[in-house]
Amino acid sequence: MELLTGIAATSGALNSQRTRLDIIAQNIANARTTRGPDGGPYQRRIVSFESELLRSTDSANGANSPGLATVRVSGVTNDPTPGQRVNDPGHPDADAQGMVTLPNVNLAFEMVDLITASRAYEANLNVAKNSRQMAMRTLEIGK
Amino acid sequence: MIAPVANSLNYQLASKLLDASVMRHEAIATNIANAETPGFRRIDIASDFTRALRSQFDGIRPPAVSNIAAINPHLAEDPNVRTVRPDGNSVEIETELMAMSRNRVDHEFLTEIVSRHIKQLKTAITGRIT
Repeated sequence: MELLTGIAATSGALNSQRTRLDIIAQNIANARTTRGPDGGPYQRRIVSFESELLRSTDSANGANSPGLATVRVSGVTNDPTPGQRVNDPGHPDADAQGMVTLPNVNLAFEMVDLITASRAYEANLNVAKNSRQMAMRTLEIGK
Repeated sequence: MIAPVANSLNYQLASKLLDASVMRHEAIATNIANAETPGFRRIDIASDFTRALRSQFDGIRPPAVSNIAAINPHLAEDPNVRTVRPDGNSVEIETELMAMSRNRVDHEFLTEIVSRHIKQLKTAITGRIT
């Protein structure tokens, strides 16, 4: 048992939420990027999470007893929905009909995601702070 | 002579509950960490721990210390919680944060009890109030 209880789960979650914030920042930054390294418009990226078992809590309770689980990023995938097409013949990335495909980034979605991610990050920070204070209390037993 | 303090009912109960509060904190940390994992079910101390402890206090006589020592907490999925979210996750972050604050107060209280027992022993040994 570690001294700071639950810190493994919390640190995994902090890392994952951090990655999510980075990806959201990337999406917002590229909201108008019409030409990426592959030549096409930027595609919105989505972070997905999965839980990872740290240790099962009780071997006596059989295999189906739940264990302590942290969270990790299971993958960053491209959002396949097509982007908006606008008519802008003067644009350097316009096709023969004068249409430009914009990235499929919706700023409203990204902002909502940003708020959710930072709230989750804060909640996990709170847990880390609490773990620390609990450990300090435990060390003061008998003083 | 140390054994009577370490084997007293209150000391044993406090250390047992202290174990449980540390375990509950781990469970809450897991729940908050997985607040956005699809399909994750909230975990908590299994309810048979409190039930087993309570059943020891049914009679008039206090329970035997050995009975208390045999009861151990373990984690289980919370069967009472409903999921209202489309991803099947049953964690509510506000509930978890409240549970964490409450658990912390419990933990402080229990460390205080354990501390007092040890201080009492120290006073008995040295004859001075520390």
